[in-house]
Amino acid sequence: MERQDHDSPSAQVDIEVTINGERFRNRVPARLLLSDFIRDVAGLTGTHVGCEHGVCGACTVIVDGDAARSCSLLAVQVDGCTIRTVEDLATDGGLCPMQQAFHENLALQCGFCTPGFLMTLESVDPQDFADADDLFALLSGHLCRCTGYQNIIKAVASVWNEAIEPHGGRFQS
Amino acid sequence: MKPASFDYYRPSSVSGAVQALADSPFAKVLAGGQSLIPAMNFRLATPPMLVDIARLEDLHGVEVDEHEVTIGAGVTQRHVEMSTRVAEVMPALAEALRWVGHIQTRNRGTVCGSLAHADPSGELPALAINTDADLTVEGPNGIREVPAPDFIRGPFWTDLRPGELITSIRFPVAPRGTTTRVAEIAHRSGDFATVGLVASLTRDGRTIRRARLCGFAVAGTPIRLRSVEGLLPGVEQLDETAGRTLADAAAADLEDPVGDIHATGQYRREALAALVVRTVRSMLEDPQREAS
Repeated sequence: MERQDHDSPSAQVDIEVTINGERFRNRVPARLLLSDFIRDVAGLTGTHVGCEHGVCGACTVIVDGDAARSCSLLAVQVDGCTIRTVEDLATDGGLCPMQQAFHENLALQCGFCTPGFLMTLESVDPQDFADADDLFALLSGHLCRCTGYQNIIKAVASVWNEAIEPHGGRFQS
Repeated sequence: MKPASFDYYRPSSVSGAVQALADSPFAKVLAGGQSLIPAMNFRLATPPMLVDIARLEDLHGVEVDEHEVTIGAGVTQRHVEMSTRVAEVMPALAEALRWVGHIQTRNRGTVCGSLAHADPSGELPALAINTDADLTVEGPNGIREVPAPDFIRGPFWTDLRPGELITSIRFPVAPRGTTTRVAEIAHRSGDFATVGLVASLTRDGRTIRRARLCGFAVAGTPIRLRSVEGLLPGVEQLDETAGRTLADAAAADLEDPVGDIHATGQYRREALAALVVRTVRSMLEDPQREAS
């Protein structure tokens, strides 16, 4: 099969994407969304699809280091890119510190929004955030309809305060 | 599979993009896609072809000098928001950008894309109109420059002609002593504004020398508030009477407010007036530290 190099208009495109360290080479419809590529082609269903227009944040993944909505990107737009999804966070040793903090602080009930929150948090450096308001602005890109956000903030603050200044209160609301 | 089927094309040059757009009159330009792809998901937009310009190196420039900031059509909103060079000469851009969508969408969405989309509730078209920015547009008949107030023609309607695309936008640097604020009333943080305002005050000490204000999400296009701008020079503080006069001027400037499911036209008129007074008052009370 000859590779379709996007240099002429086509409804089918060949893409090469690395997801959580695994390389995928596929011919896909140009209209295939990244969220559907991740779930249906790569089989990684940890990325959840909520509103499908970039508002709820459930489908957030990391594209070349930056958080992005996988429902508002075509798979072909990330051709050649490196993607990380929520499946990449836990290791054989167990949950990552943020996942552990969500667990300990009861920062989820139904869990539908959780992968998005985790990927946004994974994509940033807490040092770039000055205070709780900065953290709120970051998390405002995610809707949670169960927990009322307080426990989510608590979980993040516990990890970020520890990372920056042990026992500090920079991110306490 | 949410978007309707289309042909995808990734040209290797701007002229290749222009050619493709000229050949397929209903094709759409894809840069960040943060408005276009959601519109396609709902099939509000069903373009037969997307011309992806995101990887064209020629469109990735951010040029900053003491007179202007020029941003290429491939440059993301987040890149501009985080640029220390841009912040030095034009902090108004970062001030406006932090209201645009969310960090997760600003990582992909482009500054020029917001202009091309021309959403009446968008912050960037309002900032472009308020600062007299110029757009550079390339098409089958060559390159032309369009002032932002002429470029934004109506709701989701621009001056772009078949085959044309925006290649860059140029924001003039505001005079020394200018501070810019964006203020919004929205149902939730990061939502489209129900009522929005861009306010730029140029001050000499405490006294306003020049004022530029632009309301957005209140009409089909962002609206410069000319009577408000006329009242502010010479003002140092807003007492209650002056506040009322200013509010009346803002309400009068908004001749034809839009009413929809989120708010009536009358609500928008009153809310914009209140937002103008509140924002100007808060800017006057703030010690003047930001330049430009």
